[in-house]
Amino acid sequence: MRARTSFFALTALCATVLTNAAVRAAGEEPQLWSLQPVRQPEPPAVKDTGWPINPIDRFVLRRLESRGLKPSGSADQTTLIRRLTFDLIGLPPTPAEVDAFVNDKDPRAYDRLVDRLLASPHYGERWARHWLDCARFSESQGFERDKLRPNAWHYRDYVIRAFNENKPYDRFIIEQIAGDALTPVTADGIVATALLVCGAYDEVGAGQQSAVMKARVREEELEDIVSVVSQTFLGMTANCARCHDHKFAPISQVDYFRIKSVFEGVRHGERKIVDAAASKRHAATIAKLNAQLKPLQDRLAALNKTATQRVLAKQTPDKPETDRPLGPRPFAHWSFENGSTRDTVGQVHGELKGGAKIESGRLVLNGSSAFFQTSPLSKDIREKTLEAWVVLPTLNQGGGGAITLESGNGVTFDSIVYGERQPRKWMAGSDFFRRTNDLTAPQESTQGSQPNDAVHMAIVYGPDNAITVYRNGQPYAATYKKHQLQSYKAGDARVLLGKRHTGSARSHLNGQILSASLYDRPLSAGEVQASYKSAGRFLHVYPADLLAALTPQEQAEHKRLTERVAKLAQQLQAVPSPQPFTSYTGVRRQPPPTRLLDRGDVTKPRQVVSPGAMSVIGQPTPDFKLKPDAPEAQRRLALARWIAHHDNPLTARVMVNRVWHYHFGRGIVATPNDFGESGAKPTHPQLLDWLAAHFVESGWDVKALHKLIVTSAAYRQSSDHNDHAMQVDAGNTLVWRFKPRRLEGEAVRDAVLSVSGLLNKQMGGPSFRPFDVVVNNTHFYHVKDKPGPQFDRRTIYRINVSSGKDPLLDVLDCPDPSVKAPLRRSTTTPRASLMLMNGPFMQRQFKAFAKRVTDEANGDQAKAVDLAFRYAIARRPTDMERRTINAFLERESFEHLCWVILNMTEFVYVR
Amino acid sequence: MSVDLQDNATPSRRDVLAGAGGLGAVASGWLLHRDAVAAAPSNTQAPHFPARAKRIVQIFCCGGVSHLDTFDHKPELAKLHGKELTNKGKLDPFFGRPGRLMKSPFAFKRHGRSGQWVSDLLPNLATCVDDICFIKSMVAKNNNHTPATFAANSGFTMNGFPSMGSWLSYGLGNVVDELPAFVVLPDPRGLPAGGSINWTAGFLPAAHQGTAFATKQGQAPIAALNTPTSIKPGTRKASFALLQRMNLQFADAHRGDSSIAARVRAYELAARMQLSVPAVVDLSKESKDTRDLYGVDDPANEGFGRNCLLARRLLERGVRFVQLFNGGAFGKVKGRRINWDGHEDVISNHKYQSQVMDRPVAGLLKDLKRRGMLDDTLVVWSTEFGRTPITQGVGSTGRDHHQHAYTCWLAGAGVKGGHTHGASDEVGYFAAESPVTTYDFHATVLHLLGLDHERLTYYHNGIMRRLTDVHGHVVGEVLT
Repeated sequence: MRARTSFFALTALCATVLTNAAVRAAGEEPQLWSLQPVRQPEPPAVKDTGWPINPIDRFVLRRLESRGLKPSGSADQTTLIRRLTFDLIGLPPTPAEVDAFVNDKDPRAYDRLVDRLLASPHYGERWARHWLDCARFSESQGFERDKLRPNAWHYRDYVIRAFNENKPYDRFIIEQIAGDALTPVTADGIVATALLVCGAYDEVGAGQQSAVMKARVREEELEDIVSVVSQTFLGMTANCARCHDHKFAPISQVDYFRIKSVFEGVRHGERKIVDAAASKRHAATIAKLNAQLKPLQDRLAALNKTATQRVLAKQTPDKPETDRPLGPRPFAHWSFENGSTRDTVGQVHGELKGGAKIESGRLVLNGSSAFFQTSPLSKDIREKTLEAWVVLPTLNQGGGGAITLESGNGVTFDSIVYGERQPRKWMAGSDFFRRTNDLTAPQESTQGSQPNDAVHMAIVYGPDNAITVYRNGQPYAATYKKHQLQSYKAGDARVLLGKRHTGSARSHLNGQILSASLYDRPLSAGEVQASYKSAGRFLHVYPADLLAALTPQEQAEHKRLTERVAKLAQQLQAVPSPQPFTSYTGVRRQPPPTRLLDRGDVTKPRQVVSPGAMSVIGQPTPDFKLKPDAPEAQRRLALARWIAHHDNPLTARVMVNRVWHYHFGRGIVATPNDFGESGAKPTHPQLLDWLAAHFVESGWDVKALHKLIVTSAAYRQSSDHNDHAMQVDAGNTLVWRFKPRRLEGEAVRDAVLSVSGLLNKQMGGPSFRPFDVVVNNTHFYHVKDKPGPQFDRRTIYRINVSSGKDPLLDVLDCPDPSVKAPLRRSTTTPRASLMLMNGPFMQRQFKAFAKRVTDEANGDQAKAVDLAFRYAIARRPTDMERRTINAFLERESFEHLCWVILNMTEFVYVR
Repeated sequence: MSVDLQDNATPSRRDVLAGAGGLGAVASGWLLHRDAVAAAPSNTQAPHFPARAKRIVQIFCCGGVSHLDTFDHKPELAKLHGKELTNKGKLDPFFGRPGRLMKSPFAFKRHGRSGQWVSDLLPNLATCVDDICFIKSMVAKNNNHTPATFAANSGFTMNGFPSMGSWLSYGLGNVVDELPAFVVLPDPRGLPAGGSINWTAGFLPAAHQGTAFATKQGQAPIAALNTPTSIKPGTRKASFALLQRMNLQFADAHRGDSSIAARVRAYELAARMQLSVPAVVDLSKESKDTRDLYGVDDPANEGFGRNCLLARRLLERGVRFVQLFNGGAFGKVKGRRINWDGHEDVISNHKYQSQVMDRPVAGLLKDLKRRGMLDDTLVVWSTEFGRTPITQGVGSTGRDHHQHAYTCWLAGAGVKGGHTHGASDEVGYFAAESPVTTYDFHATVLHLLGLDHERLTYYHNGIMRRLTDVHGHVVGEVLT
C-alpha cells in the first residue's frame, strides 16, 4: 500500500517552492527576513509631526503618508476606556470607572488608566488565555478515552501569575522548556514545563501491543512537543521537517531530529511536586515565631516556678493515712474525675471522640472507634515519658495504643501499644516502627474489668535515644536504642488515648484507662517505680492557686505573657504548611541517543544525531556541544537558553508581534506562528524590529511593551469608516484606524457575567466542571448549564476538555483545546445567534442583569435604562434610542430590554 | 504559489460569507427587502469542475465491520479453517493474541444481475448490489478505534484536523441558508470513538463544523433552537424587532465592516431556522410505505431507521452532507456492544449490528432511487477498519481489529453500480489488488463533488493543509 502514499508524492503545491532550498550552506547569510539579526532602526521622519505620541506612531505614519493616507482621529474617551479595559483585562469597565476616567482632566489620565489596568489581577487572566491558545492547553487526554486531567490547572495558574508578576519574557521561556532543570528547583519551574505535555495524548496508542505502532504514536507525541516549542517561541513550523527538509522554512530534517533529541526524555504524565522553596520559607517563618516565643515562655516559666514554690511551701500531702509515696509531677495528666476530660495539671485538655465515654472516673474505649484526643501541646517535646493505667477486658486484641504522642498530621507518633507485632505483648509503637523493637518480655496475663485489674505501663524516651518500657514499675524488657527520637512541635503535636495514631484506621484499644500522664522529661527507674506505687497521687498545683500566689504586679505580667504566648502559638498554628501537590507536567526518562528516521519512518532508523537547534541561525550558536547521550535536562536547558538568547533573531520578533496582534486584531506579521517562507511578510518590518530591539533592551518587560503600544496614537485611533482609506487598504494593514472586532467567546461570556453582576471573581485553583461525567472506558462529558457561583467564574477557569466543549463558546469560535490557535477566527452564524437568544446560560443572565440594574436604579425606569446601557456598552442611550426603548417598555418588561442589550452587536464588539 | 493570507488575518470575507452571506450592502435595506434577501441562496460556491454529485450521505459503521463476514467472500478461508496463518509476516492484531484462521460463520450468495457476493447477514442490502460499487482493498492507517476513526473522517489520526464534511462546507458552501451545510446524525445509542472531534472544523472557521442533531426522541434537534416557553411569542417578536433595529443602526455606523452587517442577517436566519428545523425533523407526514421501507417503527433497529429517513429529508431540503453514524464507541444496550467491535464473538455481535443497519440503509438507497435522487446523491458506506481472518486468541469466535484489508462501498451519483474494485488476498489479510488508502478514498469522494483534493487547501500554522495531507489519488476505476 505504501507505494501510493509515498512522501515522494509531493504535490504541485509543495514542488513549486522546492527551489527555496533554504538550508544554509556554511558561511552563507540566511535569506529569510525573519532570520536576519534584529537591528534597531531609527524611527523615520514624518510630515505630520503633531500626530505621533511615541516612536511607534512615526513608523505607522510614515507608511500611511507614503500611501497618501491620514490616520483617524482619536476615539472618544468612553470608547477608549471600553476598548482598553477589554484589551487588558478582558472585562467591561463599570459605569463608575467610565465616569472617573471621562471626568479626569489630568493629561496623564490615560497613562494612569493603563497603569491601573496592567496592575489588575484580571490582566493575568486575560493574557494567560491568549498564551494558553498558543500552548494548546488541554485538561483532558483527547483521543479515544479523553480522560480528564484534574491536575493540569497548575500550569494555567502559573501562566496567570507570570503575566501578573510581569515575569521577564526570557525567564518565562526558560521555565516552560526547562524550569525543572534550573537551580534551585522551584515548584513554579516544574509546573511551567507542563507546556511541553499539555496537548493531547494517545494513551491507548502508547499502551498498545504492537511495538511499531507504539513507536509511531511516540513520534507523533514528540512532533507535538517540537511543534509547540518551535511555533510558540520561534514562529517556525519545525515539525514539518519530520519527514523531509522543510519546504517553507530553512529547517533540515537533521535539524528536526536534533531538536527532537532535546525532548526525547519528556513523557506524558503527572508528577508529584514538593515545593522546596516554600518549605524553606515555611521553616523560616516558624523559626522566627519561635524565636519571639522563647523569651516569653522562659519568663512565664520562671514566674510559674516561683508561684509553684510558694504554693507547695504551703501545701502538705493529703491523706497522711495512706503509705503511698508521692509520685513525680507530670507535664499533663488526665484522671477523668467527675467525668472531666481536662488536663488536671496543665493546659492539654482533651475531648472524647468516636463514642468514647467516661464512667466512674475511667475512660471507656470500645476498641473500634472510641478515643480521646487533646489540644496541641504548648511546648516542644523530645525526651519524654508516656504513662497509663490500663484495664484490658480481653487479651486477644492487637494494635491499640494506650497513650500516644503524635504529630498533627497523624503520621509521626510514639505510643504504648498492645499486641501489634507480637501477640499479647506491649511495645513502644512508632511511625513505620522506627523507634520500635520486638521485646523479649512475658506475655500479658492480667485481664478484667475492675480498677484492681489495671496494669501500669510506662515508656521512657531518654538521653541518647534510649527507650525503656516498664510494666507495673519494673523494666519490662531491656533498654534499646534504634532511631533518633522524634521532636514534637508546640502548636502541632497532641496526645491520644486509646488509639495508636490518627493516621491509621484500625488502631483502637479495647479497654479502660484509669489515668494517663505525659512527662516532658525522661523519668528515672526510681521515679517510674514511685509513680507506680503512688497510683496517680502527686502534688497538684492548679492554675488558680498559682495566680493567687503571685503579687498583683506579677499577676499582670503573667496575664500579659500568657496572652502573648497564646497569640504567638495561634500564629504558629496558622502558618500553612507547604503540601506536596500533583500536576500534569510530564515525567522524565533519560532516552537512548536519537537517530534520524528515514522519511520519519520508525522502521528506518539512520545516523545518530546530537541535540541542537536550527542550523540556519549562526548566532546564538545552534551547536550545544552536547553528546548524543547528554542528560536530557541539560539538552532542554541548552535549547531554552538558545531561544531566550538576546541575539536570537526570532524570539523577540515573535513575541512583540503576538502582543501587537492581540491589541490590533492583526499582527505586523499576520501569521503569528509562522515567520517562515509561507508565512505573511511584515507590514511594518522596521517597526517590528524597533519593537523587538526595544523589548530585549527593556529586559523583556512585557507590561512595558503593552504600555508602549496602547499609549501610541495609532492604538487610540477611532474606528470610523473612511471611504478613501477603505479603497486603498480595506484590510487596515496600514493601521489607518482601529478595526472593530468581535470579542472572543470567553470575553463574551465573562462580559455577560460581569454586567449581570453574577461574576465570581475568585482566582486560581481547580477548574470548574459544568458537566456530568460518565466513565465507560471513555470519559463522556454531558455538558450542562449549571447555575451557582462556582460555575459563574471567569471562563479561563472552565475546564478545557476536548469533547466537553461549552455550546456557547463553541459557536463563538473557541478553538479545540488540542489545537495551537495563535489567532482566533470570528464567524457570524445563525447557530451563534440561537445560542445567544435562547441558550440556558443567556436566559439566566438577562434576568439577573435586569434585576441588578432595577435594584441599583431603585425602580426608576429611566435611570435603569441608562444604567443598563452603561454597564453593557459604557455609553448612555441617545435621545432617539431612548424614545424607541420607552415605546418598547410601554408594552414589554424591562427584562426583555436586557435580553436585547445582551444580544446587541455593540455589546459583543469592541471598536 | 500564492497564499491568500487575507483569509487568516482578520475575520475575512470568507468567514463572513460562511455564516451569513456578504450582506453588508444589503443590511440597511433589510427591513424593506427581507423577503427578497431570503430567497437568495447565500454562499454557494463553484466547485473546481462540474460535480457528479450535488450532495452526499455517509453511513459510518463504528467499531470495525468484518469484511469477511459481510461482503468479502473467501472460500479459501473455509478450507483453511482452524489452521495457523503463515506467510503474512509478523501478525500484529491489536490485542496481540493471534488465534487460528476462522471461516465466516455466515453463508454467502451471489445477488442481483451483477452477481455480487453478500452474506446472509444483510438480506436487504443484498437486493441493492446492482447500485453498489464495492472497494474490497481498503487499507487503514491505524488499528486502534479512535485514531482510525479520526483518520477515516479527517485524514489524520490526531485531533484537531477538519473533517471531510467541514472541508466540503468550506469548499462548496451552503445550498440553503436555513439549514447547515453539514449535518451529523449520531446513533441514538451513543457517540462514535472520539465523539464530536469527528465532525470538528479543526482550524477551519467554526461555521464549517458539523451540526450534530440530537437524535434521541423528544430532544430539540439543535441546542437552543426553541424560544423558551417562558417568553411569549409577542414579546419575542417585539424584542427581536428592537434588537434588529439596534443592530442595523450599529451596522449603518460601521459600513465598512461586513461582519457587523452579517450579524443582522445571522439573527434573521436564526429565526428562520426556528421554523425550518422542526419541520424537517417531523417525520409524521411520511407515508406508512416509506416508514416501513426504513423500518422507522421497528424497534429492532434502535432508532437508526428514523435517522436514515431524516437523512433523506435533510438532503431533499438542501443539506450538502449528512453523516449518519451506525453504532457508538462504548456502552451497552441490553448487554450488547453498541458497535461492530466483535472481539469476543463475531457471530452474535454482527447479527445484532446487521439487524440494526441492514434495513434502514437499504431503505435509504431504495427511497433515494425511487425519488430520482440517487442520480445526483453520493452514498458512502464505510468503517474504520476490518477484522482479522484469525480469531482473537485460540479457541474463540471473535475477530480482532485489522488494518491491512477491509471493505467500503459507494453508490449513486457518478459511481459504477454492480461493480467491485480491488481485492484482498486469499484469506482477506492484505489488500492484494489495487490497494486504496483513506487518502485515496477521500480524494475520490471530493472528486465526485467537483473538488480537486490538491486544490482544496487552507493555510494553517505554516502549511497549506488538505484533507489528503500530501497523499491521495482519485480511484478512477470506480467512476462512471
